[in-house]
Amino acid sequence: MSHQLGRVVSEILHRYFGEIVQQVGKDLFTYGSKPISMIVKTTGLPRAQVVESLRTLLKFHLATFEPSSNEVNADYKLIPDNVLLLIRYPRYLLQMKSKYGSEAELLIEELLQQATCSATILLVTIAKKYKDDEVKNITMSKLKDTFISLATAGYIQQAPVEEVKEGCEIPTLVPVATIVPELDTRHLLHAMTMDISEITDNVYWEVNYDRFHLDFRDEIMIKAVTRRIDENAGEMLQHLLRLMYLTSAPWAPESNPTPVLELRECCQRVAAEKPHLNQHFDQYLKVLEENGAGFVRRCGEAGGGQYMVRPRQAAHALLLCTLEHCVTERLGSNAARIFRLINSKKYIEEDDIQKHAMLPNKECKELTYKLLEEHFISVQPMRKAASAGGLAKAIYLYHINLHEVAHTAAELCYRALHNVCRRAAHERRRHARLLDKQRRVRTIVHGMRLRGEPQPNIDDVEETLTPPELAVLTSVEKRLKQLSAAELELDRTLFILKWYFMYP
Amino acid sequence: MSSNSSEDAITEKILNIAKKNPKGITDKDVAATIPELSSEQRVMMINKLLQQGLIDLFKQGGSFIYRLKTQSSKQAVKGADNEEKVVFNLIEEAGNKGIWIRDIRVRSNLANTQLNKVLKSLESKKLIKAVKCVNASKKKVYMLYNLEPDRSISGGAWYQDQDFESEFVDILNRQCLRFLQQRADNIKNNPRGPIVGRTQSYATAAEVQKYITDLGISNVKLEVEDVITILNTIVYDGKAESSVYPDGSKVYRAIDPLLPAPGLVQVPCGVCPLIHKCCSTGLITPQDCIYMNEWLD
Repeated sequence: MSHQLGRVVSEILHRYFGEIVQQVGKDLFTYGSKPISMIVKTTGLPRAQVVESLRTLLKFHLATFEPSSNEVNADYKLIPDNVLLLIRYPRYLLQMKSKYGSEAELLIEELLQQATCSATILLVTIAKKYKDDEVKNITMSKLKDTFISLATAGYIQQAPVEEVKEGCEIPTLVPVATIVPELDTRHLLHAMTMDISEITDNVYWEVNYDRFHLDFRDEIMIKAVTRRIDENAGEMLQHLLRLMYLTSAPWAPESNPTPVLELRECCQRVAAEKPHLNQHFDQYLKVLEENGAGFVRRCGEAGGGQYMVRPRQAAHALLLCTLEHCVTERLGSNAARIFRLINSKKYIEEDDIQKHAMLPNKECKELTYKLLEEHFISVQPMRKAASAGGLAKAIYLYHINLHEVAHTAAELCYRALHNVCRRAAHERRRHARLLDKQRRVRTIVHGMRLRGEPQPNIDDVEETLTPPELAVLTSVEKRLKQLSAAELELDRTLFILKWYFMYP
Repeated sequence: MSSNSSEDAITEKILNIAKKNPKGITDKDVAATIPELSSEQRVMMINKLLQQGLIDLFKQGGSFIYRLKTQSSKQAVKGADNEEKVVFNLIEEAGNKGIWIRDIRVRSNLANTQLNKVLKSLESKKLIKAVKCVNASKKKVYMLYNLEPDRSISGGAWYQDQDFESEFVDILNRQCLRFLQQRADNIKNNPRGPIVGRTQSYATAAEVQKYITDLGISNVKLEVEDVITILNTIVYDGKAESSVYPDGSKVYRAIDPLLPAPGLVQVPCGVCPLIHKCCSTGLITPQDCIYMNEWLD
């Protein structure tokens, strides 16, 4: 809930929903929770527009509401974390495409755009949209199967339903357990011919972000272990994580113990692909435990040994790694050395830093103070209690308060994300006329092609974009691409930070 | 002439007693061993010895005791005056740790200017030397000329003339890391199993020390402890991890960081020195940021 977070949230809202929603969102962010009338007062917008914006925010889960103390009005509240998720949408789609294929990608894309949608309408809309697309070759039965497998895997879930309590006019949203639906292809094909308003399917679905985040988490952990040891160890961790889902809460700081026997069975099943892993199973387990950055720990001897996965420890290690990278890039590798030294010694005096870091006195002091200035390390003075004479020297102990440093890094991320978003918006605004022209030319050309008009005519229209204009357009496109790639990368960093903050 | 030779004999006798009792002798002891000496003569002889700087005079429980001075100091301060002797003794006591000029002044009760003069004359006679302390650059300590400064004063192998040799340390750091990295890949898909691979990727400090010595980049003899210090800096650089063998020896292994460079440092803002001054409006804004322009072009 920082000023920087507010800036980036407002920038994102502006990009996806326009100025009015941005104004309402910003107002909600600044004041916490407030009723409609107050929003109207502070933003100065007409009531209808405020209501419309709130509707949008609520629909996309970017805000919540709860009955105020008088139980008649509703208080609205922005959820900044969900606003940040808007940036992550491309990653969700990519994940779907690589895991379940392009049908799943289309499904999730449509559902993300609709926020909530009933299964029938969702499938019918997609099928209609790609009816004529020969390349993708979307069929209703394939779509249906994908939908069901996504629901089974938990990537989509049923949206919460409203419920009105007695004596209260404000409804509350109650989450419901997801039941995998029985969809009939014939019914769906029949629905294709109907008008959308006639479809009577009242079970609404939404995307389950959390399930995606678990995938991201596992991927990060597996990649880290692969970097540290090798692919086989990564594979083993993957099996361990899969077994963890069976026995523990997915975001638990430490999984319940997993017996080695089950893990061995898993590895034997993939023996054909990974003979090396199967052959040296015990050794890999030992190396994973001892050299795997503490992701896995042996916790008992029952049943031939039991192991647990430690996502909390993983988050800790990965956060440290991120911070170290950050310090290295900002202040140089020698500062990173001091940072790691302080972290490994917990509390350390200035003289000892110099001794262990093996740096010239002056440089070492300068870097230490710079680290302190940028809030990467903290200092704890220890004063000797009231000794005689004014010569009593205080001892200054340097240490790292990881939680605070993580917040510093998060602030930096918000700032950077805001700047990147703002810059992208600025680029778009600056070249708005050209981009607009390009879009228009494209639509006209597309229309002409469909009508089958002769090529010279099409060329004529295309030539309205002059070569210098085209050159500018390519450079702008390149810039925008780079900026959006940067957004995704920043989001990855934020993901690790958020993951760390999850465990108090 | 005869009186002189007899005096010499008496002196010899007194010194002999003093030698036998390194804790010191009293006036009575002298009287007991050389009964033929009158008290007057005895006082004269003692005074003479004191003047020559052969013995020291102490007061213990109301009576005087005489103690033989050590040979070296006796020779060293030949021809020196009393102040020099006092200062010299203080410096000698400090051993190879040295003594700070302020401590000398306090303990010798000499005025600053006088003390400086004394120190200068002792230095010119090559009896003492001034050594710069590595912990505090301004602090000079004095010690006897022939002593090797203590490690805490000179800083060990990493200091040349009391200056920290960061380049030397850097080179060693890089060479050690190269040695570790040569072995590091053994752990990946080792046909003999990951434990063998891990053992192959580990290097003990002694092995690294041998490698460094064979390279011949150091003209100073590096001990295993020195190499361990260097290896620890690699660990603090995040480029290696250390572990302990069952026999207690420390082993090191080069590692990669868990993550590739995160997004935060890939954008200019993550490394921008002006990030805290960057606002939506004003002189520094993301819209016309030079760093961003460079990055985008």
